[in-house]
Amino acid sequence: MKNEITLQTRREFLRTTVLGSALSWTVPAFLANTFAALQSRAADSATQIVTGKDDTILVVLQMAGGNDGINTVVPYASDFYHKARPRIGLKAGDILKLNGEIGLHGAMTGFKELYDSGNLAVVQGVGYPNPNRSHFRSTEIWQTASDEDKIEKYGWIGRYFDSCCSGADPAVGVTIGSQLPEAFFAKTPKGICFNNPQNYRFMANGATEQSYKKLNEAEMSGVAPDAPADENSGGSIGMLAAGMPMQGGKAVDFIERTALDAQQSSDEVRAIAARVQNQTVYPASQLGNSLKLVAKLIGGGLPTRIYYVSQGGYDTHTNQIATQNRLLKDLGDSTKAFVDDLKAQNNMQRVLVMTFSEFGRRVAENANGGTDHGAAAPMFIVGNKVKAGLLGRYPSLAPQDLFEGDIKYNVDFRNVYASVLENWLKTKSAPILGRQFEPLSLV
Amino acid sequence: MLQALPEKQWNLETTAHLLNRMGFGGTPAEIQKLADLGPEQAISSLLDYEKIPDNTPAPVWAQPDPARMRQQRDINQHGTPEEKKQFQQEENKLQNQRIIELRGWWLNRMAKGPRPFQEKMVLFWHGHFATSFEKVRDAYFMWRQNELFRRLATDNWLYLLTEAGKDPAMLIWLDQAQSRKEHPNENYAREVMELFSLGEGHYTEKDVTEGARALTGWSLDRLDQKYVYRPLFHDRGEKTFLGRTGELNGDDMMEQIVAQPQAAKFITAKLWNFFAGQVPDENLNDALAAVFRENGNNFKPFLRVMFRSEEFYADSVVRNQVKSPVQWLVGSARLLECDLPPAVVSWGVTRGLGQDLFAPPNVKGWDGGITWITTNTLLARYNDAATIVQGTTQQLGADDFARKPGGQGGEKIEKALRRIHIGGVDVKKILTVRELADKDLLVSSLERRLLQSELTGEQEKTLYDFLAAHDKLTNEDIRSAIRLIMSTPDYQIA
Repeated sequence: MKNEITLQTRREFLRTTVLGSALSWTVPAFLANTFAALQSRAADSATQIVTGKDDTILVVLQMAGGNDGINTVVPYASDFYHKARPRIGLKAGDILKLNGEIGLHGAMTGFKELYDSGNLAVVQGVGYPNPNRSHFRSTEIWQTASDEDKIEKYGWIGRYFDSCCSGADPAVGVTIGSQLPEAFFAKTPKGICFNNPQNYRFMANGATEQSYKKLNEAEMSGVAPDAPADENSGGSIGMLAAGMPMQGGKAVDFIERTALDAQQSSDEVRAIAARVQNQTVYPASQLGNSLKLVAKLIGGGLPTRIYYVSQGGYDTHTNQIATQNRLLKDLGDSTKAFVDDLKAQNNMQRVLVMTFSEFGRRVAENANGGTDHGAAAPMFIVGNKVKAGLLGRYPSLAPQDLFEGDIKYNVDFRNVYASVLENWLKTKSAPILGRQFEPLSLV
Repeated sequence: MLQALPEKQWNLETTAHLLNRMGFGGTPAEIQKLADLGPEQAISSLLDYEKIPDNTPAPVWAQPDPARMRQQRDINQHGTPEEKKQFQQEENKLQNQRIIELRGWWLNRMAKGPRPFQEKMVLFWHGHFATSFEKVRDAYFMWRQNELFRRLATDNWLYLLTEAGKDPAMLIWLDQAQSRKEHPNENYAREVMELFSLGEGHYTEKDVTEGARALTGWSLDRLDQKYVYRPLFHDRGEKTFLGRTGELNGDDMMEQIVAQPQAAKFITAKLWNFFAGQVPDENLNDALAAVFRENGNNFKPFLRVMFRSEEFYADSVVRNQVKSPVQWLVGSARLLECDLPPAVVSWGVTRGLGQDLFAPPNVKGWDGGITWITTNTLLARYNDAATIVQGTTQQLGADDFARKPGGQGGEKIEKALRRIHIGGVDVKKILTVRELADKDLLVSSLERRLLQSELTGEQEKTLYDFLAAHDKLTNEDIRSAIRLIMSTPDYQIA
C-alpha cells in the first residue's frame, strides 16, 4: 500500500469514498488507513450506512460500581434470602411485587410502571463463566465482551462501529460525559462525547475562530505519513495499558482526528440542544440530565445509533440501604421520564434502553450493612417492542447452589448483546462478539 | 538494554524531553541551562532534590483537630437530628473549601516549587494509590497522604506500600478501617494486589480472603485522626497467603507481596508507562525490574538508570505523550512564565479536562494517554488556553461548579468567578523587543517556547495570515496568537 495519498480537504475526504480531484496535500497514516478501509468497503458492498436519524437507536445505561441485583429484583418469598440478609433484606411490604415470589425494589416505581405498560423486560441472572470480582476487570469484560481469561483491545460497541459504520458521521456514537467508555474503543475510533452542549465549542471571536479551524485541519499538521502501525504495542499487559491502544503509534494523529470530529459535531449538537424542547420533567440528577440531553438529540435527528450514559455509586460495601434507595429511585424515575418524553416525540418505537452493571453482589450481607463484590445480576431492557416481563429464571439462593457465596449466572451477557445486535441493530453478531452467541428473544 | 545515552547525543531536544517528563517543562533559558550540564548532572539536578531547600508551608488547617472530632462524636451520639444536620452541613462546607485550597496549594508547588521532580512523583503516586476526597471527606487526611507520597516519593517499595496501607485516607477509602475479624472486609486486600502491587491474575481469590484476614487490626483512630493497630480486631489464626503460611499480619502480607518478582515488574512497568508514555514490552519490563531488584527495590537508583537509558530517548517516546491535564496546566504556566489561575479556577480547569486532583474517577486512577483526549476535553483545552493566556473566565460557567456532590448555588459561584481577575500572560516578559516588532522572529520564538519544535508550513501560514490582519500588533493580538498555538493538536503532546 502506498503511504501517501492526497486529497483536497480532510472533511471532503471523509464524506466521500472515491478519490477527489485537485489533490495536493500529504495526509497522515491513519487517514491513509481509513481511506484503504473505505476503498475495500466500497469495493465489496453497496451497503448504505444506516443512521440513527431514521433507524433504530440503542441507549446503553451503565450502573457503575456493581449493583446489588438481589435487592433490585428481590426474591422476597425466599427464606434463603432473608436468612442471608437479616439486616438489609427487603420485606414483602418494601417491594413492588411482580409475582408471588419476585418484586422490584420499592424505590423503582418508574420501572414498575414501565413493567405494567409492557415496556420493561427483566433478564434474570445475567453473568459470564468464571466471574471476576474486580470492578475494573469485570467492567472491561462487559465493555469488550471478552472471555474472562482474554484481553480484548477493542470494545463491543467499537467493534460494531468498525464492522458496520465505517465512513459514518463521528456522531454515530455519543457518550454523555467527558471520557469515552472502553466499550467505544475501536480500530477506527468513532464517537463523540460531551457533557454540556453550551460549552461544546471553540469560544473566540471570528478571526481567531477561523484560524483555529484551519490550524486543526488534518492536512496541515506535521504527521509523518508513514508511521507504521504497531499493533502489538501495549496488548500484553492490558490492565496497565494507557487506555486505548494508539493507532500507528502517534498520539498527535489521534488528537487530530478528535479535533476534526469535535469541529464537525459541535455546531449540530448545540443547535439541537437549543432548539429541541423536552416534554417531560426529569429528576435533577446526573442521569436525569444525561437522558434529558439524549432525548433532545434523538428528537433533533442527530445521526446517532448508540448513546451511552452512566450512573455511578453502586459500590455499596457499607450502609447500602440508603444509597441504593436513592440510586434506584433515580434510575426508575429518569428512565420513565425519558420513555415518556420519547413517546411524546413519537420516537419511542425506535429506541431501546439496555442497562448493565459489572457484577452483582454477594448473597450474604457483610458486617457494615452492605454487600461485597459478587457475580450474576439482572439486566433491564426498556422499549416499545420488548418481550416484557421476567425473562429466564431467578438463580437459586440455596446455599448448596451458590458458588463461593454468589448466585450462579444462567444467561451469558453476550447472549443479550447478540440479541440487541441482531434483532435491534440488525447486524450479524458473530463478527462483533467473536463467535456466535444465541440471541435471546428480547425484541 | 538500558544502556546510558551517549553524551554526544545530549542536546536541546533530549534536554527538553527530560524536563517535560521529569518535571513540567521549562522555558528556553531553563532548557539551555540544563543542556549545558550534560545528561548525568542534568538528571541529578532534578532527581537529587533533597539538596534543594523547599520551605513551602503547609496549609494552616493541616493538622489534627481533636476538639472538633470529639464535638462531632458527641453530636452524632447525643445530638438531635437538626443538630446533626447542621453540623454535617458546616463540616461539608468547610471541607469543600479546604480541598479546593489544597488543590491550589499542590498545583502551585508543581508550577513554582523548587523540586518539580518530587512533585511529579507525588502526582504519580496519587494516580497509583488513587484515593478520593469524595469518600474520605476530610481535607486534612488528603493532605497527609499527599505529604506521605512526598516524603517517600523515591524511597523503598516495601516501606511505601506498607505506609500507604496504614494511611488514614486509604483506610477510609478502601474500607479497611471497618474490617473486623468476624467479617473481614475484602476491599483493601483485593485492591492492594490487583491495582497497587501485582496486577490481576497474579493472586487467587483465596489470597484475597486470607489477605483480608491478615489485614484485620489495621484501623483508624478517628478522634486522634491517625492509624492505630487494634489487637481485638485482628484474626490471630493461621493463614496461607501467596504461598506463605503462619499467623500472618498486615506487615507480613506486604512483605510477602513485595517478595514476588511480579511486584517489581508491576511497579516498574507502571513507572515506565507514566514517564515514557507507553507500556514496556516484555524484554524491557524484565530489564527494568532487574535493575529495580538489584537496587534493593529502591526507587531512586532505579529511576536514575531509567532516565539515563537510551530507550527513554527513543523516537517513539519523545514528543509522543499526551500531556495530562495537570501537565498541561502547570506546564503552560511554566512555559508562559505566568501565575496559575486562582485555586477555584485551576480546579475547574483540571476537573473539566478529566483530572480532578484528590478525586480520581476510581481506585484505578486515571487511564491517561490518549484517553485524556475526547471531543469534549479537547475543545475544553482550547478554551481553557484562553483563560490562562488572555485572562478570561467567561467559559467557566455555573455548570462547571454546580455538579459538586451536594453542591448548590452554581450561580453564586459564577458571579463570584466573574469578579476574579486573572492576569493572563505578560507578553513583554516572554518576548524581546525585537521579537515583538518582527513577525518572523515572533513566530519562531513562540514555536520554540511552546512546542519546542516547529509548526508545519501550512499551520505557520495560518498564523502569519492571522497576524497579517493587524498592522501593528497589540499585546492582545499576540496573546491571541499564543492561544491559537495552544489550540493545536501539537500543543497537546510533549
